[in-house]
Amino acid sequence: MKPRLILAVFLVTLGLIIAAVPQNKTRQYKLTAIELLDEVNTRTQFITPEVVADMLVKKDPTLQLIDVRSQDEFEKFSLSGAINIPISNLLSESNADILDQEVKMNIFYSNGTLTANEAWMITRQLGYKNNYVLEGGLNYWFETILNPQKPASTSPDEEFAKYDFRKSAGQALGGGTISIQSKEATPSSAKPAIKTAPKKKKAAGGC
Amino acid sequence: MSESITTIKKSKYLNPYIGGVLLGLVLLAANFISGRGLGASGAIKSCIVSASTTIAPTASANLAFMKEYTSAHSGSPMKNWLVFEMLGVLVGGFLSGAIAGRLKFKVEHSPKITSKKRLILALAGGILFGYGSQLGRGCTSGSALSGMAVLSLGGFITMMAIFGTAFALAYFFRKNWI
Amino acid sequence: MGPLAPNELISENTNLFLAFIIGIGFGFVLEQSGFSSSRKLAGVFYGYDTVVLKVFFTAAITAMLGLLFFSLFGWVDLNLIYVNPTYLYSAIVGGIIMGAGFIIGGYCPGTSFCGASIGKLDAFVFIGGLFIGVMIFGAGFSIWDDLYLAKFLGSPKISESLGLSDGLFGLLLILAALAMFWVAEWAEKKFPREEY
Repeated sequence: MKPRLILAVFLVTLGLIIAAVPQNKTRQYKLTAIELLDEVNTRTQFITPEVVADMLVKKDPTLQLIDVRSQDEFEKFSLSGAINIPISNLLSESNADILDQEVKMNIFYSNGTLTANEAWMITRQLGYKNNYVLEGGLNYWFETILNPQKPASTSPDEEFAKYDFRKSAGQALGGGTISIQSKEATPSSAKPAIKTAPKKKKAAGGC
Repeated sequence: MSESITTIKKSKYLNPYIGGVLLGLVLLAANFISGRGLGASGAIKSCIVSASTTIAPTASANLAFMKEYTSAHSGSPMKNWLVFEMLGVLVGGFLSGAIAGRLKFKVEHSPKITSKKRLILALAGGILFGYGSQLGRGCTSGSALSGMAVLSLGGFITMMAIFGTAFALAYFFRKNWI
Repeated sequence: MGPLAPNELISENTNLFLAFIIGIGFGFVLEQSGFSSSRKLAGVFYGYDTVVLKVFFTAAITAMLGLLFFSLFGWVDLNLIYVNPTYLYSAIVGGIIMGAGFIIGGYCPGTSFCGASIGKLDAFVFIGGLFIGVMIFGAGFSIWDDLYLAKFLGSPKISESLGLSDGLFGLLLILAALAMFWVAEWAEKKFPREEY
């Protein structure tokens, strides 16, 4: 037989096999209690306010903020671009598409971290990925981003860099004008941004 | 098909199907070892980021493009998978050329155009490709080939856009090649 | 088991070293297949030399089948493998610009490095152009960042988008590729040119 014909037959045969067999979908679905405990202990679900602020300023299209507080509270104040899924409605079917997907990075937030963390734990137990929790909740957000405290003059440089970043991000998100340059020139902006890659284990790629 | 086998045997190059299988195995190895496909234009980006941050650190820190890069990559921009891979490509290509006796400085072009014209067109094509590869997040190897291997929707779209455009424009540039 | 690096089975530096080795294989195969010659590359668009099409699709199919079978045997976790994200508009516009660059310049980035490695001067100039192009993109990033980020679809697989299983899509791709190879062989006979 001609080599090209052999190759063609070989490829089609392999193709037929792979089309016929069921797809291997062994994903880490439904975590065991131990796995969940492990994730809770390592606190991988928490995303710091700096990272979220950075993504908001950059208008990162992968960011989806989810307000898990009640509708009243959501209407009074919410972060820009956030959608409201009160925790009582968390499991309604219309929300499943938002919570169980691999496109966006959902970040739950509540006033503190308690409610948001509950939402995370429930969705995580269901095997949903890409859900995270805003560290410290809105209270900490106000403290750090919208109203940062100037560090004591004896603080190390990183503290000042962090403060500069918070201040500028706060201004940007609060509506004030801000030169993005000054924010990005600080080393701290690069650091939290590295953490924005939540798919830590997934290889980075691209050309 | 039987007649064309003879033409293939005459070729100084590897049978394209065998070449394709070998290239596929290299790509498979890259995915198996590093969890990513091959690439090329990303290495150029790394070089530029590294050069501009060395030459003009403040100016480049202000560029949104650089921010985008530094936010996605930790460490030195040159300590990058693609940079090492492209260095390997230079070595591999050189080895192959040396074995096949193809090492020679020359400008390759159709007899209908001058070397100078060919070089100008190569520069223009390079600029377009460099720009397009950044906009499209990867070139023929990074986006189209590697993307197709992992069945990425974007990879297929980019592949079709590249080859479709090149086919559509082929008529206007035929003198350069035929 | 695999992929090795994301599973932290090999260190970061080993990974970079293996990147170099993979690159050698990449460059070697490209050169051996004739991808160092721009006239050979451009031949696919005129039908006189379809080596690009054959190598490109055979490679994509081989790697795709390999990954699907590795996944079937549990040797590799496809969830950990990088799937290029899809930003619809920039993928199309970028692809169109790259296509124009391909037919004008005769190379793509990978093959230009390959051509440069055996002394093709037009490949060196093309690489120079690549640097300029990337710099232009970087310098004017704020002008086109809207387009760059528009219509983000995540990292969908084409099989998912079409509602097929990976394997079935793979089979269809193989059949499509074989059909293209057949057309390519026909075209090479119809528009014969001596080899460059």
